[in-house]
Amino acid sequence: MSRPFPYAYISCPCANTPVPDPSKKRRSRESPQKASSHHPDQPKPPPRFDDSEDEQTFDPRAPRSNLSLYPPEHLLYCEDCHQIKCPRCITEEIVCWYCPNCLFETPSSMVKSEGNRCARNCFNCPACTAPLAVNTLENVVRGGTSQQGPWVLSCGYCMWSTLDIGIKFDKPTNIRTQLAKLTATDTNPSRSRQMSRTFADLKSPLSTFSSIDEQFPPAPGEARPDDSPDQSNGPLSPDARFHALKSFYKTQISATSSSPSDPLGVDFGAGFSSPGALNRIMSLYTSSSRLSSLYGGASKKPKTKPPVMREALTASEGFKTPAADAEAVLIQRMAADECGWDGLASLEQRVFQSPDARFVEELLPLATLLRTKRAKRCKSCKHILVKPEQKPQSTRFRIRLIALSYIPLPTLRPLVPPPAAGVTSGSAPGMNLDALPPLRPTQLLLTLKNHMFDPVRITLATPSVTPGRVASKVTILCPQFDIGANSDVWDEALQGNTTAAGAAAAGGGTGSNATADQRSSRSGAAPATATTAAPGGHLGMFEKVAEAGKVWDKGRNWTTVVLEVVPGTLPSGSSGVTLQSRDQAPRTTHSKTTGNDSDSDSDTSSFGGQAPDWTGQAAEMQQQQQQQQQQQLQPDEDVLEIPVFVRMEWDSENQIDRPGVSAAGEMVKRELAYWMVLGVGRIDPSVLS
Amino acid sequence: MPPKAPKGEYIETDTGNKISRRSLIHGTQHIILGGKTVIQSDAVIRGDLYRSSSTSTSSHSHSQSSSHASSHKPTPSTSSASGAASQQQQQTPSVAITIGRYSYISRQAILRPPSRLHRGVYAFYPLKIGDHVFVGERAVVEAASVGNHVHIGRDAVVGSMAILKDFAYVLDGAVVAPGMVVPSWCVVGGAPARIVGEVGEGYGVEGAEGGMARERYRVVGR
Repeated sequence: MSRPFPYAYISCPCANTPVPDPSKKRRSRESPQKASSHHPDQPKPPPRFDDSEDEQTFDPRAPRSNLSLYPPEHLLYCEDCHQIKCPRCITEEIVCWYCPNCLFETPSSMVKSEGNRCARNCFNCPACTAPLAVNTLENVVRGGTSQQGPWVLSCGYCMWSTLDIGIKFDKPTNIRTQLAKLTATDTNPSRSRQMSRTFADLKSPLSTFSSIDEQFPPAPGEARPDDSPDQSNGPLSPDARFHALKSFYKTQISATSSSPSDPLGVDFGAGFSSPGALNRIMSLYTSSSRLSSLYGGASKKPKTKPPVMREALTASEGFKTPAADAEAVLIQRMAADECGWDGLASLEQRVFQSPDARFVEELLPLATLLRTKRAKRCKSCKHILVKPEQKPQSTRFRIRLIALSYIPLPTLRPLVPPPAAGVTSGSAPGMNLDALPPLRPTQLLLTLKNHMFDPVRITLATPSVTPGRVASKVTILCPQFDIGANSDVWDEALQGNTTAAGAAAAGGGTGSNATADQRSSRSGAAPATATTAAPGGHLGMFEKVAEAGKVWDKGRNWTTVVLEVVPGTLPSGSSGVTLQSRDQAPRTTHSKTTGNDSDSDSDTSSFGGQAPDWTGQAAEMQQQQQQQQQQQLQPDEDVLEIPVFVRMEWDSENQIDRPGVSAAGEMVKRELAYWMVLGVGRIDPSVLS
Repeated sequence: MPPKAPKGEYIETDTGNKISRRSLIHGTQHIILGGKTVIQSDAVIRGDLYRSSSTSTSSHSHSQSSSHASSHKPTPSTSSASGAASQQQQQTPSVAITIGRYSYISRQAILRPPSRLHRGVYAFYPLKIGDHVFVGERAVVEAASVGNHVHIGRDAVVGSMAILKDFAYVLDGAVVAPGMVVPSWCVVGGAPARIVGEVGEGYGVEGAEGGMARERYRVVGR
């Protein structure tokens, strides 16, 4: 989900700690203090990420930055670690399972036994994945009571229905069980009619067979005498086959497991999924007859020869022998006129179907996959950060420590210069952020809004030139300022913000008063914002000029400062030529190719006799290609993104979290520092320098 | 409130709705706006498609006041389809579209009440839109209900009888299939729309993503 301009992303500090290491996290709590000493005006060498302290300028274009940049609303805040927590530094726990279609909760025990699909009437179209609706075929209204005929599942998007695969339902409820019965009997009505067993029927013969297995260990290849021919030939439905195979191997394991106390036979889980399970290892050395016979246990009478597991052999065990001409039949069917391209199931469709399904008419409706509601914990201190209410329909949270209630919310908007304000009355007011004129100073308003109940002192820092090839100059006119506390009861702002802080402030009569006050103070200063569809506001109140060292505007809990940006020029078109010449003269800027050259010595030694010919044409081509690649505009290289280092300081009452260290109520100085990236817009490629 | 030009782009109602003069609103008596709603130019709102059996009950002309009156349970003794339909109408007032506070209908968006063929009768059902809802440009919404803080992107199509729960997010150009339910906090996209992700926990906080409704409202018409 890419955002429209302007946007603000916040970098989680965890990106600098390569492996989530609890001890390191604890140390890095103190790191922001050191980081604050970093001087913003000197561009630093490219970041070394092994350092846990962010002394370097954050490069929003570095490949690693993708992993740490998040929109502010995705970030959480751990009150114990006093740190921003991104989705990488939390763990999740499932609170409940629910069907996204009917929004009913499914108990986790049922999820384990029945699988994570909706057991009700919720299905997705096998052709297009849209949800299916239960519809009736007959619509006869007779004498007040409507006579409703057989029911089908139909897709409102692609008009697929279960009629396409010849399935109708007798009643509109419990479709899942009806469908299971129908598909257990005749998945392929074209091929098999002789099998008329439901899954329940299948279970009992299998249990008897397994007991037979123990009595007569069959020789491989031996045909089963007690299999009736129709049973062995009749293909089971894939589901039934899976269950048959599963129960077959279960019984095999229980039959072949050496000791009765061995959990191997109980389930697949204990023995096979974890080979290091203690029980298994113990049984390997203690009860195994083989080992005891090896090590001096020869005197002991060896136990019976360990029984050998065998593979599934018959259809009733889930084994399937494809017919000899199965492939040919398939091909013929594909080649037939009535099949055609449309008759073949696409790969996307087959992914969710049984492996045998090749044609559209073999696609079965898919029961909707369940979704989860998850609680979130801090990875390092295990404190719970988010806990939603268990009800699937509820949007409330019992605990929700989002970063937005701690760190100031950044919003960016262009400051429309006075002449431009009246001109454009089109879509975007004033400035088109998708085509920023290069080399022309542009002023932006950065508003930081405090959601804490303590006033915050903010220090902003930014490299004077943005990292990357498109070097834009950035100046924060007022890098140091205060933001007021979110003290006033302003329930409008806190509505929906159900953090602990928000709840404490809810209620109170002065709310509307405060909003009115706030609005009026804002409307005076705030020009038309970057809401895309707002018609151009032309207010004649832009006499105000941005001054260095002064905040632009200030409200109860927010402060606006001015950013001056001079977008750089793009290295494309005719400007690319100049860049090329510039590139070739100093070889240091040409880092990629020079790196290759210097590496070539060490490379040739490892190539044995065939040294790569760097003077040859291939190398030249390669070099040229690399150059071209460097010259060409990389995707999104024209996006003007400004890294801004934010450091906030505030005095807060010591929270209850550490009773031993200091008494509650004592004022504690806190600070938090992080990088944020402001996406201003795209630089206009048509304007050349 | 700054003084308005006498013939501005927007008509502002008593409850603070800002409605573009160039919007196309049909059947205004069947539309309820919660206040502070913005309707931009060329938005089409089909309040004329209110719940009446369009086939047979042409004789029953319902006004909003009359249908409010009775709320008794319909008896199953009615024999004709038209009788059943009128019973249903008496049960529910013929409100076609309800829009909550601070909702924003962008340019060229189309709001149309959902409809379906039920027991042989083609009927419209009310379209309920919650608070702080954003409907993008050229989006077509036929949902049965749209919860609070829902974002419907540009060029998105929300099919008939779909249900978008609170904080649902429909990406630009998505086609939400008819009858689909989008759970809370879920992001849907594609055609047909699938759940492709979830919005963050802070979504909908005032001023942040999903909580820009007041700001959007404030700047309209200035």
